[in-house]
Amino acid sequence: MKFIHPLISFLRRFYRGNPTAIIGTIIVVTVLSMSMGASLIADNEPTKRVARGHQPPSAELWLGSTRSGKDVFSQVLHGGQVSLLVAFSAASITTIIAVVVGVSAGYFGGRVDEILMSISNIVLVFPQLPLLIILAAFIGQVGPLVIALIIGLSSWAWGARVIRSQTMTIRNKEFILAAEVMGESKWRIIFVEILPNLMSIVVGSAMGTCIYALMAEAGLEFLGLGDPTIITWGTMLFWAQSNAAFLVGAWWDMVVPGAAIAIFGGGLALLNMSIDQISNPKLKTGSYIKVWRRTKAEVEARRLQP
Amino acid sequence: MSFILRRFLFYLVAILVAITMNFIMPRMMPGDPVDALFASAMGRMPLESLQAYKEMLGFVDGPLWVQYLQYLKSIVTWDLGPTIMLYPLPVTELMAAKVPWTLGLAGMSTVIAVSIGLIIGTYAAYHRGGLTDRFMPAFWAFVGAMPQPVTALFIFFTLALSLKWFPLSYGADPDLDPALSWEYISSVLHHAVLPLMCMILGGIGAWIFNMRNAMINVLGEDYITMAKAKGLSSRRIMTHYAARNAVLPVVTAVSMQIGFVLAGAVFIETVYNYPGLGLLLFTALGARDYPTMQACFLLIVVFVLVANFIADLLYLWLDPRLRK
Repeated sequence: MKFIHPLISFLRRFYRGNPTAIIGTIIVVTVLSMSMGASLIADNEPTKRVARGHQPPSAELWLGSTRSGKDVFSQVLHGGQVSLLVAFSAASITTIIAVVVGVSAGYFGGRVDEILMSISNIVLVFPQLPLLIILAAFIGQVGPLVIALIIGLSSWAWGARVIRSQTMTIRNKEFILAAEVMGESKWRIIFVEILPNLMSIVVGSAMGTCIYALMAEAGLEFLGLGDPTIITWGTMLFWAQSNAAFLVGAWWDMVVPGAAIAIFGGGLALLNMSIDQISNPKLKTGSYIKVWRRTKAEVEARRLQP
Repeated sequence: MSFILRRFLFYLVAILVAITMNFIMPRMMPGDPVDALFASAMGRMPLESLQAYKEMLGFVDGPLWVQYLQYLKSIVTWDLGPTIMLYPLPVTELMAAKVPWTLGLAGMSTVIAVSIGLIIGTYAAYHRGGLTDRFMPAFWAFVGAMPQPVTALFIFFTLALSLKWFPLSYGADPDLDPALSWEYISSVLHHAVLPLMCMILGGIGAWIFNMRNAMINVLGEDYITMAKAKGLSSRRIMTHYAARNAVLPVVTAVSMQIGFVLAGAVFIETVYNYPGLGLLLFTALGARDYPTMQACFLLIVVFVLVANFIADLLYLWLDPRLRK
């Protein structure tokens, strides 16, 4: 129970005077909990035919029905489970690779650094989404697991570079030198001395990848490269587009999954901005600047009247 | 000079990696890829073209490295074989008709997004804690996190379908013949507005973010204080002292962005039925036209690498320290 108190004070510092972080957290938590509790919130099974095709939103069907008469509300909640799972697992794979590559390149330096960085520079310069599209096209209709895997394996390079440069600055600090002189093993230095100091950057890059994976998954599935039988936000968009939902006036079929992705991605982006401000406090804005200006004015006033 | 040469070699390696990937991918497909190709063409492809394909893809008899050299040769001679969906039209000819549309969209949208993003980023960072600084970065980060197909669909629904301000599809009015007349050009521009808007909306956030970060670092430098002490106008400090130096690291971020923009073209052109490379890739996906897909991928990679190279040259021009 010892960790509770520092955690609370950390959260208080994080959220105070930071509306973007508050809004971002509210959005992310709401969307997450709604899709986790999908079967409790939605009455209808997502795959069951409950109405005629393309019924507009009403009291029974809050968000209308799809072309094949399924409940859009239930689909968007259940689809969220798969979409979010794909985004989170892709982000985890990416983060693990990025940390391993970035920390070893930054800490060991020399030949290791050279080889790892030339690989990641080549991966980085490649246009990722076209590569994903081609890969998915060759593999055939890919399930969510494969999508998570190919996104995860192809998008670690940026994170690796950021983590490497941060590792290099930490590595030259005195406390690392002290640890080395004390004879700590390399692994202990990496895991106990360096990694905790990289935490905010790692979390930030994981969230960035999460947004990217959400977008890439939706894009791939929108193009019809995903498995259309599995309900996700992307395949909902795909079905709505192939049933020409907008042209026949069934806007809810398209707008609902689109808005779900957009809102969740936006929420993550807002949260990510605030996490960036932990790793680089210079980026802060809003009330921090006000406090700074006030203090500065006070100091200057004091200096003028001795 | 050595800087340019080094970068050039690096991009050459990257292109080679892309070609190698194109070479490996059909070989990883289950079964004989050429037969699969033939089956997916559903009889629209005469038998003799099968042999031509085998040669183009490097499926000649012989060890793998002979096949690889054969494939390299067909790339270098720009002989990518006929398409499947529009047999016997050559892939290169089909692509050549689409390239100007996509390059026009990508180029224009990048220029506009960069200009707006740099201006907002500069202004927000210089006036820290102001209204622009508090709301613009957050707002554009939110917008930028929307997937491109979603932005494209929403704008399509509101501005094209409901309000009928802009056309629903094509790159220009199909009744008009391509000519250098005002009528045709205005039609092209009118059709390009919405796709451009989608690309710009997706890109601005990243530029604001990068520019603001770079500006904040630069604004702490001593020469900024010096410029203030000299009594220079605040606008001059902002543009000539801070922004001029802050823009350097931002230029390197262009590599991430260009690839993103060209990938977005696939979704945006699909939604607006815009006759570019992205729509071609999408139709090729639907028709399982692997040669066209691979050629599109290769071309997109080449465009991205060329854009990166241009960014490097720009960097050289902006930073005299590298010109040694």
